[in-house]
Amino acid sequence: MSTFWRNSIAGLFLALLLAGCASVSPEEQAHRNRALTQFQTGATALRNGNYSAAKTDLDAALLVIGGSSAGDASAREARGYFNEESVKTFRGEPYERVMAYYYRGILYWMDGQPDNARAAFRSAAVQDQNPELGITQSDWVLLDYLDGLASAKLGGDGSDAYRRSLAEARLNKPPPYDVQANVLVFLEMGQGPTKYAAGEYGEQLRFRPGSAADPVAVVRVGSQQVKVGPFDDLTYQATTRDGRVMDHILQGKAVFKSTTDALGTGAIIAGAGVAIAGNSNTSQNVGLGLVAAGVISKIISAATTPAADTRQWNNLPNLLSFVTFKLPPGPHVLMVEFQDPNGQTRVTRQVKFEVVPGRDSVLFVSDRNT
Amino acid sequence: MKQIASSTALALAAVVFGAGCASGVKNPSGVPVTVMKPDEQGFVAGTGIESQDLVSVTDKMARSLLSTPEINNFPGGVPRIVILPVENSTRFPINKDLFAARIQAMLNSKAQGRMRFLARERMAALEQERQLKQEGKVTSNSDPNIQEFKGADFFLTGKLMSLTTQAKAGVSDYVLYTFQLIDPRTSDIVWEDSAEVKKQSIEDAAYR
Repeated sequence: MSTFWRNSIAGLFLALLLAGCASVSPEEQAHRNRALTQFQTGATALRNGNYSAAKTDLDAALLVIGGSSAGDASAREARGYFNEESVKTFRGEPYERVMAYYYRGILYWMDGQPDNARAAFRSAAVQDQNPELGITQSDWVLLDYLDGLASAKLGGDGSDAYRRSLAEARLNKPPPYDVQANVLVFLEMGQGPTKYAAGEYGEQLRFRPGSAADPVAVVRVGSQQVKVGPFDDLTYQATTRDGRVMDHILQGKAVFKSTTDALGTGAIIAGAGVAIAGNSNTSQNVGLGLVAAGVISKIISAATTPAADTRQWNNLPNLLSFVTFKLPPGPHVLMVEFQDPNGQTRVTRQVKFEVVPGRDSVLFVSDRNT
Repeated sequence: MKQIASSTALALAAVVFGAGCASGVKNPSGVPVTVMKPDEQGFVAGTGIESQDLVSVTDKMARSLLSTPEINNFPGGVPRIVILPVENSTRFPINKDLFAARIQAMLNSKAQGRMRFLARERMAALEQERQLKQEGKVTSNSDPNIQEFKGADFFLTGKLMSLTTQAKAGVSDYVLYTFQLIDPRTSDIVWEDSAEVKKQSIEDAAYR
C-alpha cells in the first residue's frame, strides 16, 4: 500500500500545483480588464456629453488595442490548458474594437479633425477584417460611408468608399454625400448583443441578439424632418464571423479535457479491477498504479479550462445610424424621437447646438443614458 | 513497479507544470522607468505612426528643406513661412501638430536666420495686443497703426497616406509622408520631399 499512498501524495501535490498556478491576482486581472472598463466609461461619458472624459478613456483603451499583442504574456497564458481565456488582456471582439474606434472618430470630427476621424474609421474597418477567416473586407456600412464623406469634405474623392457602403448596406441604403451639409448627427439605438459560453465546457463563444433591428429615429431641426433607419447592426456583426482562431485553441482544450477525463475514468476502473482480481503483489501494485494514474489524469482534466472569454462591453448599442443637415450659422435645436417598429415614440432627445461657419457641427444622440 | 508508478506520477506533474502552468502575474514587480531615445523603437510598439517615425521623418524634411535653393537664394531677404496642418490620410489618428511643431523647431534651430516662421496660430492674441497698443493702453516701441504683420512667402504643409494589407501572415502598414513648400502667390510647389515607413506584425492567436 505504500506505493498507493505515495502515488496519492503525488496526485495531491499535482492537484495543488494546478489549482495554485492557474490563478491571476485580482489586481493583475483588473489591469488586464482596463480597456473594458475604459470602453464602458468612455461610452457613458460620450452619451452624457462629457467629451473630454470620453476622449481620455477611449484614447487609453485604444492604446491597448492598437498596440501589437505579439509576445503578450497574458495571451500566452490564455492559450495554455490551465488558464481560462479571460485571463488575457481584454481587447474585445472585433465589433467591440470597431466601436471604440468609431466613437473616437466621432469625437475627432467634433473637434474639427475630419481627417483623424477618417483615420479612426479606417482603423475600425481593419479591426473587422480577418483574412485567416476569409474576411478580407469590413462590412460595416457607416465606416466606409463616413470614410468617403470625410474624404469628400476634405476635397478628395469619396466615391469608392460610398460605393462600398452601398454594397454592404442590408438594412437601409445610405444617401449620396452632400458635402455642403454642415451638421452631422450620429445616432445609436437599442441594446447590443450579449456574449455567453456554450458547449460542454463553455468553450464556444456565442452571442444573444440585441434589441430589434427595425426601429427608426425621427430627427427634426427647424423646419426639416428626416426619418432614418439603422445602417449597421452590432448583432449582425457579432454573429456572422464564423468563429475565431482562438475557438480552435479552445476546442483543443476541450478535447484535451474530455480525453484526460475519459482516460482517467478508464484507468481507475481498470486499475481497481486489476488490483482486486490480482493475486500477487505485482498485480496489485500495477492495479494501484493505474488507479493513481487515473486520478492524476482526472486532476489534469479538472484543471483544464477551455471556457471562452465572455467579458463584454456591456453598454453598447445595437444599431447605428447617421443623418446630415445643411443649416445656417447660429443656434439651433435638434429633436430626435426614437420610435419602435409600430411608430410609438420610446425615447425623445433634445440637443441645443451652434452652427459655426467653416466647420461641421457634430452631434451624438443615443437612446441610452449610460 | 512501485518506483515506476511513483515516477510516472511525479513526471506527469512536472510536465504539466512546465507545459501549462503560468505565473498569472505579468511583471509582478513592475518595470522600472526606461529612458528611450525618441528615435528608437521601444518595447511598446504597434504598426502605427510612432515617435521614431516622427523624428526620422521631420529630421529628413528639415535637412532637405534647408538645402532648397528657393530658401537659400530667396530674392526678398529672409523668407517668411506659415506652417499649415498636415492632412492625415492614414488609418492612424495622430496629433498632427507634432509634425509641424518638430519641423518648425528643427528648422528654427538649424536655419540660423535663413527663414522665419509666422505665428499665425497666435493671431488672435497678436491682434489683441496690437489693439491695446493702438488704444494706448500699453506701451509700444513703434507706431502701432502701421501694419507690420507679415504675409507668407511660402506655405509648408504635408500629407500622410497609408496602405494597409492584411493577410494570413499578419498586418502590414506602409505610411508615406510627403511635405511641400508652396508659393502662395503662384501656387507653385517649390519643394517637395517624402519619407516612407513600412511595418508589419501578426497578432497573438488569442486575439484572432
